[in-house]
Amino acid sequence: MSTATDNHASQTLPARPKELAMHFDNLHQQFHSGKLGMWLFLGQELLFFCGLFTAYAVYRGNHQDLFHYCHWFLDWKLGAVNTVVLLVSSLTAAWSVRCAQLEQRTGLLITLALTFICAGAFMVVKYFEYTHKLHIGATWGGSFSVATEDLPAQLLERYPDMTGEKLKTMGAGTFFAIYFCMTGLHGIHVLVGMGIYIWLFIRALKGHFNRRYYGAVDNVALYWHIVDIIWIFLFPMLYLIG
Amino acid sequence: MSEAAHTESHDHGHHEGLPGTIGHVTPVSTLIKVILSLLVLTVITVAIAQVDLGKFNIVGAVGVACIKATIVSLWFMHLRYDKRFNFWILVGSMLLVAWMIGYILFDTALYQNNLREYKQDKAAPATP
Repeated sequence: MSTATDNHASQTLPARPKELAMHFDNLHQQFHSGKLGMWLFLGQELLFFCGLFTAYAVYRGNHQDLFHYCHWFLDWKLGAVNTVVLLVSSLTAAWSVRCAQLEQRTGLLITLALTFICAGAFMVVKYFEYTHKLHIGATWGGSFSVATEDLPAQLLERYPDMTGEKLKTMGAGTFFAIYFCMTGLHGIHVLVGMGIYIWLFIRALKGHFNRRYYGAVDNVALYWHIVDIIWIFLFPMLYLIG
Repeated sequence: MSEAAHTESHDHGHHEGLPGTIGHVTPVSTLIKVILSLLVLTVITVAIAQVDLGKFNIVGAVGVACIKATIVSLWFMHLRYDKRFNFWILVGSMLLVAWMIGYILFDTALYQNNLREYKQDKAAPATP
């Protein structure tokens, strides 16, 4: 394993660690440059999602009744399970950074795999949620068409004379357009994260990371925490409050 | 420039980890405390949502979510120990988010009266 060798550099050029890219002076500079780049990307990610949060805010501000009716379509228990799953995956992601720093190879492999598994579990729950909504016709825009008998029981309990047609006229399609765009874009981020965690796992298997070169593990964990934070907002905003 | 001069971590006090480690190593106890507080806050979010606060439902939901996001970014994302500049990138981004949402909400509120008048005009029977 190559570590800093500045102290006993040869007379001509100091030996460079094999992980050090040619355009950096040292591993420290390389690490913090990568991290700066990641943070700039994450700042951009927040603004990227901000467009959808703005759509949510404006639509909710003007049609609060619709959010009240439509939030019964979303099963808060499934949302809560997914929240816990993502929080645990954030823990394992943060732990994987610790393992990489301490050069605990087995621990690193386990935490990376656990993060991947939690992400997969999240997507499985999401799959069941989506297929149910597509099945009953709770979809975006003009395609929204739910038969009255398919309306959520809790909604009918409170508003016995509510019908699918009424909801459609009120603009339920726009609620579901916002729902699918927000959770869908978030889901795409989870899928991308799963792919990157496979890449990290392979690199960890090959023993690429050490206490002075683990920027990839750290930066992917940062990305993963932002994905978690977005869900921390989506869960109460869509599933819980009406 | 000598690399060794830069390897000290930026946190204060003692530092867990192997010699020469770059960055701050988060202790297991901190990780556990963070996840437990996040789980407790999740329960609180669900509990708050059972109470109907009317227009303030959104305030409760987003308020608790903000606390959770702050905890995640300070400890899981190491911002507490990281270079300050990264912290300001996040804060700057959040300010832009607040500006965008706030400004557009003001705007949409401003023309609601016109919209209402327009709808009333349309609903009213045509005058001869």
